[in-house]
Amino acid sequence: MAKFEPILLKNRGVVNSTALKVYESRGGYQALRKALKMTPETITEEVKKANLRGRGGAGFPAGVKWGFLPKDRTRTLLCVNGDESEPPTFCNRVLMENDPHQLIEGTIISAFATQAQVAYIYLRVEFHEVFHIVQKAIDEAYAAGILGKNILGSDYSLDCYIHRGAGAYVCGEETGLIESIEGKRGQPRIKPPFPAIEGLFRLPTVVNNVETLSCVPHIIERGGDWFSSIGPEHSTGPKLFSISGPVKNPGCYEAAMDITMRDLLEREDMGGGMLPGKKLKGVLPGGISMGVLTADELDMKMDFADPAKYGLLGLGTAAAVVFDESTDIRAVLRNVARFYASESCGQCTQCREGTAWMNKMATRIESGAGRNEDLDILLETARNMGMMPGLSICGLPDGATFPIETIVKKYRGELEAAIAAQSAEAAEQILQTMN
Amino acid sequence: MAKIIIDNQEVECQEGITVLQAASKAGWDVPHYCFHPGLSIAASCRLCLMEQKMPHPQTREMGWSPKLMPACQTPVRDGLEVRFASDKVKQNRANCLEFYLLDHPLDCPVCDQAGECHLQDYSQRFGNAESRMVDQKHVTPKKDIGPKTLLYTDRCVLCTRCVRFTQEISGTNELCLTNRGSKNEIDVFPGRPLDNPLQGNVVDLCPVGCLLDKSFLFKRRVWELKGTPSTCPGCAMGCSIRVDQADEHVYRLKPRYNPKVNDWWMCDEGRFGFEYVHDDKRIAAPVVRRGKDKTTPEWQDLPGILKTRFETHVREHEGASVAVVLSPFMACEEAWLLIRFIRDIAPSAVLVMGPVPVEGEDQQFPAGATGDAVKFTILKEKCPNKRGIEMLLEAAGGETLAFDAFVEKATAGEFSAGWVVGGYPKAWVEKPVGKAAAKFELLVAQDMFENEFTAAADIVLPACAWVERDGSFANHAGLIQPFARSIEPPAGAMRDGQYLFETAGFEGIYSGERVRELMAATIPAFNEVCEAPPVPAHTH
Ligand SMILES: Cc1cc2nc3c(=O)[nH]c(=O)nc-3n(C[C@H](O)[C@H](O)[C@H](O)COP(=O)(O)O)c2cc1C
Ligand code: SF4
Ligand code: SF4
Ligand code: FES
Repeated sequence: MAKFEPILLKNRGVVNSTALKVYESRGGYQALRKALKMTPETITEEVKKANLRGRGGAGFPAGVKWGFLPKDRTRTLLCVNGDESEPPTFCNRVLMENDPHQLIEGTIISAFATQAQVAYIYLRVEFHEVFHIVQKAIDEAYAAGILGKNILGSDYSLDCYIHRGAGAYVCGEETGLIESIEGKRGQPRIKPPFPAIEGLFRLPTVVNNVETLSCVPHIIERGGDWFSSIGPEHSTGPKLFSISGPVKNPGCYEAAMDITMRDLLEREDMGGGMLPGKKLKGVLPGGISMGVLTADELDMKMDFADPAKYGLLGLGTAAAVVFDESTDIRAVLRNVARFYASESCGQCTQCREGTAWMNKMATRIESGAGRNEDLDILLETARNMGMMPGLSICGLPDGATFPIETIVKKYRGELEAAIAAQSAEAAEQILQTMN
Repeated sequence: MAKIIIDNQEVECQEGITVLQAASKAGWDVPHYCFHPGLSIAASCRLCLMEQKMPHPQTREMGWSPKLMPACQTPVRDGLEVRFASDKVKQNRANCLEFYLLDHPLDCPVCDQAGECHLQDYSQRFGNAESRMVDQKHVTPKKDIGPKTLLYTDRCVLCTRCVRFTQEISGTNELCLTNRGSKNEIDVFPGRPLDNPLQGNVVDLCPVGCLLDKSFLFKRRVWELKGTPSTCPGCAMGCSIRVDQADEHVYRLKPRYNPKVNDWWMCDEGRFGFEYVHDDKRIAAPVVRRGKDKTTPEWQDLPGILKTRFETHVREHEGASVAVVLSPFMACEEAWLLIRFIRDIAPSAVLVMGPVPVEGEDQQFPAGATGDAVKFTILKEKCPNKRGIEMLLEAAGGETLAFDAFVEKATAGEFSAGWVVGGYPKAWVEKPVGKAAAKFELLVAQDMFENEFTAAADIVLPACAWVERDGSFANHAGLIQPFARSIEPPAGAMRDGQYLFETAGFEGIYSGERVRELMAATIPAFNEVCEAPPVPAHTH
C-alpha cells in the first residue's frame, strides 16, 4: 500500500517543532494569512465542502455545526475540546505536544469563520506538559501579532485562553466542558438550547475537538475538494489513529479512513503486529466506549460508517486498545464498567445507578462470584440505561453500555465458562463479603 | 390556549407550560422527582419520559420518535402528540424505580416520610416489587446539616430540588452535590450549616425521607395526621398553609400553593411558630370577678353576663365612655361581631387598633433581588390582620384611637368601660398598663396569656389560637384569606367567634363564612375571599 504522506503529523519529529519560527519555516500560518483575506462564509463553505466531520467522537460535520450559530449574534465563543479523557486515546496529545501552532492556526481560522471574539482551549488537568507547550505557543503567537488585537494587521482580533479541567471524563462532553469553564460543577446541560444558540456564558458557542480544528489550516491551504478526496466519501480527510496494548509499536499514526483495524494493528508502519508470544483476543477500536471487536472482526474499516455493522456505537476516538489471550475477559469487563461508574456525573438516574450496578456485577463476576443471570441483567441494564435513545442527558451511558453489551455478547461463552468453573462455596462467601 | 394530544385524548392547555404540567392538570399521573414548578428545570430524574410524534428525518411523515423525551422539559405547542400509555414509557419508569431502590435502605418502618413518600408511591404504582441486585448496598451517611434539619443521604433520590431551592429561592447556596455518579451526595459546605429563614421548604420539596424536620422527627406517623387549610398568622403576608394535627395536637405546618401570596413556600418563623398553641400557661376558662370574688361562669351564661354588664354600665353611668381594643390577631369576623356588640350598646364607643408588632425589616429572597426577581418576602409586620382591622374600623366609622393614645387616655381615667382583646402569641403589653387598667370600672380582657389587663379585668375571656378558630385575615395587600379550624380549643375554653357571635345577639353556631355573609351586606370587600387554587392530584 502506498505510504500515506502525513498531513497533521507532518511536523512530528522535526527538531523544535513546537517553536513558532520552525512552524512558519515549514509553511505555517500561510493558511491563516489566506483565510483573513477570505470571508467567514467562504471559509465555512470550504469546510463544508471538505466534509470535515468532528474528530471528538460524534463525527458531526464541523461546517454544518458552525452554520447553526444565530445570524444576528453579536458575540461568539469558540471552545477547543482538548479534554481527551477517553481511555487509550492520545491523538490530541500528540498533536499538541508536537505541533501546538497547527492547533492555534486552526483555532484562529475557525474563530474567524465563526466570528468569535474569544477562544478557550480546554485541557484535561493531567496534561501538564501539553499545557506548558501550548501556553508557550500562545505567548509566542501573541508576541508575533498572530493572536490578540488586529491579527496579522487585519481587522480581526481574537483572544485565546487555556482552561484546565479538574479531572472528569464528563467534562469532555461539550456542555459539561462549558459548565466547567464557567467554574461550575462539571456536568452536562440539558438541551435545547444547544451551545450554538446558548453556550458558554449563555453566548452562542462552538465546541470542536483539537484534531478537528487542526485539519482546518490544511483545508484552507489546499481546498475542500482536496480534503474530501482523501478517504471514503463519508469519512474524508486525514485521521489520527492510536493503538496501545501488547503490540510491537504502540503509538499514534496518521492515515486516510480507508484502513481497517487489521491494518492499524499489523502494518509495519503502524502497530506492527502483536508482541512476540502474544495472541490477540480482542480490541476496543474506538476508545473503550464504542465496544469490542473479536479477533475475527479485524476487517472492520476505521471509518464513520463501518463500525455499526459490527455492533459498535461508532468510530469514537479511533484509539484502539488491544488485549491478548492471557487477559481474563472478566477483567476487561470489570475495568470498563469501573470507568463509567466512577465517571458518570450522576445527574440522570439511569446512568448514575446503571453504571454503578453494572460495576458491582462486573466486579463480582471478576472476583469469582458471577451468575449466568448476571450476564442477562448486564444486557438488560445496558438497554435500560443507555441503548434506548433519550434516556439521559448526555452520551456517556451510550458509551458505557456499548462495550458492556458487546463484551457480554461476543465473549459470552468464555464468561459462562469462567462462571461454571467457580467453586460454589467460594462464590457464596465472596457474595457475602463484597461491596 | 394550545391543543395537544395525550394518549389519543385531546387536551386543552395554557401556552407556555410543560407537557408534564398539562398532563397532570388533565388528570394524568406522571411520575416525577426533579421537576417542581417553582424551580428551574433539571430534567435529570428521567422518570417523566414520554414518547412524542415527530416528522421522520427523511420522509417527514409523522411517527413515534424512537427517542424518549422528558415531559418536564418539553413545552406544549399546538398539535403536539405524546403518549405515556406505551410499553416503552412504562418500562422506563419501572427501570428507573428499580435503579432508585438498588442502594436504598428500605427502612420505611422507621422513616418519617413513609405514607407520603413518592418513592413508596411510585414503586407501588409504577415499579417492580423485587430487586434483582444481590450485591451489597452502597451506604451513605446520615448528616446533621443544620439546627432544624437532618439529611439521611441513603434515602436520597438525588433530584436536586433542595439544592436548587437554596440557589434559586433562598439564594443562600448552602446545599451542594458532592462526588460523582452513584457516590453523589447532597451536602453542606464545611462550617456553613443549612440555616436560612426559608430552609424548612427543602423538607417539603424532598420527595422522599431524606431531608427531615428535626421538630417532627419520630413524632407521628403521617397517615394519622389530618390536614386543614389555613393561613399563617406569622406576618402580614398570610401564607397559605396546611395545619397537620392529630389528637387535637398540631404537629406541623406546611405551605400550600398560592400564586397570589406565597407560591409554594413559607418561612421558618411561621412554620415553627405554633409552639405557643400547646403552652399550658394559656388561659382556658372565663373568669368573672366581683371584688375579691372570682367565679368561672358557665359558657352559656356568658353572653348574657357580658350584655347585662355593658348595658347596665352605660345606663347607670352618665357620660359613660367605652373603648374597645381590637387585636390584629383577631379574625375579621370576630372583630366585626365585637364592634357590632359594643356599638349597639354604646354607639360612640372608641375603637382602638391594638399594637402592631414590627420586627426588623422586610426580608426579600433571594437576597438582593428586586422586582420580579423577588421569590419570597417575609414582612416585618408580625401579625396577620392589621389590614382587616383597619378595614373594619373604617367601615364602622366613629372615633378611633391608636393604642398608645388609648393607654394615655385610659391612665388619665377617660374611659369608664373597656374591652381589650389580645391574642398575641408573645407578650404584647410592652409598657406598664396597670395604672390604665385600674381606671376602668368595667374591663373585659380577652387573651391567651396573663398580663396586666387580665389581672385587672372584671371579666377575663380566654382567646383561642388561630388553629382553634375560623375566620379570615386580610393580608398586607388587602387579600381576604380564610382559615379553617383545625383543633379544639383547650378544655374549658370556647372559640372566640362563638361567644362573640352569641354576645352580639346571634343564635346558633358561629362560622366565618356565615358571618362574612352578614358583613358583606355593608362591607362589599367581604363578598370575595382569596382561596388558594386546587393543585392537581398527582403533583408534588
Ligand atoms: C461523555 C463524553 C465525553 C466526551 N469527551 C470528549 C473529549 O474528551 N474530547 C472531545 O473532543 N470530545 C468529547 N466528547 C464529544 C463532545 O461532546 C463534542 O461532541 C465534541 O467535542 C465536538 O467536537 P467535534 O465536532 O469537533 O468532534 C465527549 C462526549 C461525551 C458524551
Ligand atoms: S448521562 Fe450520565 S454523565 Fe451524562 S449527564 Fe446524565 S448522569 Fe451525567
Ligand atoms: S435530599 Fe431530597 S430534595 Fe434533596 S436531592 Fe435528595 S431527594 Fe432530592
Ligand atoms: S426528568 Fe422530568 S421530572 Fe425529572
